[in-house]
Amino acid sequence: MIKVENLTKRFGEITAADGVSFEVNSGEILGLLGPNGAGKTTTINMLVGVQQPDSGKIELDGVGNPLDKDVRKLIGNAPQSLAIYEDLTAEENLRFFGRLYGITGKNLNVRVKWALSFSGLTERKNDKAKTYSGGMKRRLNLACALIHDPPFLLLDEPTVGVDPQSRNHIFESIEKLHSDGRTIIYTTHYMEEAQRLCDRVAIIDKGKILALDTVNGLLDSYGGLSVINVKLESLPEKPLPVDGNVDGNNLRIETEKPLEELAKLSGSGLKFLELSVDRADLETVFLNLTGRRLRDR
Amino acid sequence: MKSLFVMAYKDLKLLWRDRAGLFFVIGFPFLMAILFGSIFSSSGGRVSGIRVAVADEDSTATSIALTEELEKSDAIRLYPMGREDAVDKVRKGKVSAYLIIEEGFGELGAFAMFGDSGDKKFEVGMDPSRTAEAGYLRGLLTKAMFSMMHNRIATPDSMLSFIREQKKELEASSELEDEQSKLLLDYFDKTEYFLENIDSSVYSQGGFSMDNDGIEIESVERQRDNEPRSGFDITFPTGILWGLLACAASFAVSMVQERTRGTYLRLKLAPVSLAQILGGKGLACFISCISVSAALIIVGYFVFGVNIGSLGMLILAVICSGLCFVGIMMGISVLGKTEQAVGGAGWGILLIMAMFGGGMIPLAFMPSWMLTISHISPIKWGILALEGAIWRGFSFTEMLLPLGVLLGFGIVSFVIGIFVLSRYDN
Repeated sequence: MIKVENLTKRFGEITAADGVSFEVNSGEILGLLGPNGAGKTTTINMLVGVQQPDSGKIELDGVGNPLDKDVRKLIGNAPQSLAIYEDLTAEENLRFFGRLYGITGKNLNVRVKWALSFSGLTERKNDKAKTYSGGMKRRLNLACALIHDPPFLLLDEPTVGVDPQSRNHIFESIEKLHSDGRTIIYTTHYMEEAQRLCDRVAIIDKGKILALDTVNGLLDSYGGLSVINVKLESLPEKPLPVDGNVDGNNLRIETEKPLEELAKLSGSGLKFLELSVDRADLETVFLNLTGRRLRDR
Repeated sequence: MKSLFVMAYKDLKLLWRDRAGLFFVIGFPFLMAILFGSIFSSSGGRVSGIRVAVADEDSTATSIALTEELEKSDAIRLYPMGREDAVDKVRKGKVSAYLIIEEGFGELGAFAMFGDSGDKKFEVGMDPSRTAEAGYLRGLLTKAMFSMMHNRIATPDSMLSFIREQKKELEASSELEDEQSKLLLDYFDKTEYFLENIDSSVYSQGGFSMDNDGIEIESVERQRDNEPRSGFDITFPTGILWGLLACAASFAVSMVQERTRGTYLRLKLAPVSLAQILGGKGLACFISCISVSAALIIVGYFVFGVNIGSLGMLILAVICSGLCFVGIMMGISVLGKTEQAVGGAGWGILLIMAMFGGGMIPLAFMPSWMLTISHISPIKWGILALEGAIWRGFSFTEMLLPLGVLLGFGIVSFVIGIFVLSRYDN
């Protein structure tokens, strides 16, 4: 488990993290969703021990603070900026970082082989990283974070600048890591990623966590009403079974429970020409919480 | 400790793969040392041959024999061309002198130079300021003429042919009085009889030869204590310092690359201390410095004859210079936050250090005011320490000053670098 209590970090006048608190359960993926400059990377940097918080407390699974280098061994970090040596090959990068974690001999060979296979880079293992596509570099960046087999994984926007194929590969890799039981913190400003991958999502903006829950929980609490739009073949003579606005043959229903409303409509014998349900998403949640869109800036 | 070597190995591998960086670390210093060493060595007072433009307007066997005789000497280089070109080249300073062999020279033969000035049939022209070379050329021409003359009388047959030619000319001439003419003809007859009857081996024992002028010049090597024996003694230490400069600049840029590209973050996350991270970078820089210095010293010694006065002192000088530039590398690496800033500012500072420290103008040729300024440059002290070990003949006590200054520069710069870096980190 990762436990963060009231983390604060200031850079001059700017407060990058303002009393950030959360807990990540073992084997869980927690998403930090927020726009650029929200404080996600600063939070990650404090979590991995490369930046010291002005105040607050971090504890990993009861073993201590990541400022201690023995605790840091338990963390794998894939930073937002590509932390690989582009003039080294994939294998050389992995061997180098593996050796820094004290992995040697046969064990190192096994780990390097696993990481290459995991990132889909076995075929290109002897090519310099600078010859890779953006997606391949991202996968190598992730593989380097995993070379020492850490139970805690911090992934800071791991799909930035990645083609759809590599993005999918990264998603599948993260899902596999999740199923292996690793505890993961995943920062992103893409709500689709958070919705697909994360068990729980923390909405962060201006250094503060505004809300933290499961995706459905956030939608229920902050998403607002779902909208059902129906185009009817003809208007019924008797009253409609649901509350809604009628405009010609068009019916618009705003509801907290769209499934129940749809069941009522279908049981009424009405004939539909068109039907759509617009459900709230995390973008709406963010908009409702901050008054801004995720990618306004 | 192992992490230190792992990181140093990685940095050396990265340097090896950076072809442009590698050129500045190893190629450029060699280029400097060899190119300028060759220039300084070839301008050390040795005459490589007087360049003479030759216009042979006579083109007879005799005129060709003269040029061939001149070409036998290493001290002269002939460039055949027309009269006008030859004069023009001297005027423009492209050759030292011209020699015009006029038509009719062949008829006068080997005795051309002994006639009246109007009859000589050859002309030599030279810049009047080249007095030493003029004397030198006069000697070479005289020697060539004497050699040709000697060839005419070297055997009884050639002498006989010569005497008979002279007899015919005398008989045909009406310029002399009869009595004088008869006297000479009588002399020629007796000489002819002498040449017809003398054993050629007895004849050849006498006479003289221009090939052996009886003057032997012994080669006496000048004793050179505490002064460079060749230009390479000066340029190889300078080349080493250029190599160290390039090492410091390359590793400073690689240091800032680590910060800007995110690998520094990953290194900090790894279970290694900041001291180990910086130590690894410093170790790689130090190994590069030592390798470049060793390569230059080995090539200088075995190929270019750089004499090493004291190997022990040289090793000390190389180690202290290397440590100094590791410190400078650390200081430079925090001059900016981007590779461009550090690369630009770093090279700028290093070039100024080189300019005033003897990296561009050798210390031995510096004016006194520049020598005074040079004290602030570690390049100066590095060159001084290396030269002290190579040719200045420094004692250990004399070496202490440059070595101490080098270490001082290194330590101060390293501490400044660490201080600023830790501020960046926070």
